[in-house]
Amino acid sequence: MTAATPMTAGEKLPRAEIAITQEMIDRYAAISGDYNPIHVDAEAAAKSPFGGTIAHGCIPIEPVFKALLSQLGRPDLPFGTEFELRYRQPSKPGDTIHVEAEIVGQGDDGKWQIDIVCRNQSGEPVLDGKCRVPSDDRPGS
Amino acid sequence: MSHEALKTYEGATPGQQICEGHITVTQADIDEFCRLLGYDHPAYRADAPGGAIAPPSMGLTYGLRLGWEADVFPPGVIRMGDENVHGHSVRAGDELTTALSIVDKFERKGRKFLKYEFVTTNQSGQLVCSVKFAAIVA
Repeated sequence: MTAATPMTAGEKLPRAEIAITQEMIDRYAAISGDYNPIHVDAEAAAKSPFGGTIAHGCIPIEPVFKALLSQLGRPDLPFGTEFELRYRQPSKPGDTIHVEAEIVGQGDDGKWQIDIVCRNQSGEPVLDGKCRVPSDDRPGS
Repeated sequence: MSHEALKTYEGATPGQQICEGHITVTQADIDEFCRLLGYDHPAYRADAPGGAIAPPSMGLTYGLRLGWEADVFPPGVIRMGDENVHGHSVRAGDELTTALSIVDKFERKGRKFLKYEFVTTNQSGQLVCSVKFAAIVA
């Protein structure tokens, strides 16, 4: 992680990505307690509309967190950071998901708005949305 | 408490708290999360000054964990999107409490959705994170 980069409208967040494997999904199932067969049971998942296992929703979000933490130059998020994300298609084992995020500007409440899209290795969006990051880090501010 | 009735669109009542759960976060938990997802900041390590914190997404993961452990979701439920608010960082040794509620139910294009909310707090009652997500249930 590098030193903080000041938020500037129009600038992009650092690139971050995650390479998804079935082993990662299996281990994430153990951490999250989410053993939905669509994630961990190849045989059952093959009969689903997805044709195979898919990653837990939180896994393709990880590049968003990493890019934002890298931009902020800190290991945590400012108190009151908000995300609004929509999944566009599932991420699967073998996919590499990267984030493209652009700082849109600062709202009246002082929060920086960042537009987010995560894409797979084919450039297809897997999730998109926005993030709002307080410039003032004090709880309750 | 049986959650069977809540696993159906018809049985779900918006505004209803489904359950509350507790979990203690250990340094080993943080280490495994970091190894798995590639976090290497010194602040996440056991020897961090003032004690280790967890990556922000770990609070999110542990909040969602309650729902799976309590077995409250309909079979095959698929999450469609998240609305997350992040509060205080999780620290090794924190005792987290997560309250899970159903906040909305709706139909769109012939499919049925439930909207859930998780609110996770630490042992001091401080917000760690809240998560709302809509899921297809039928």
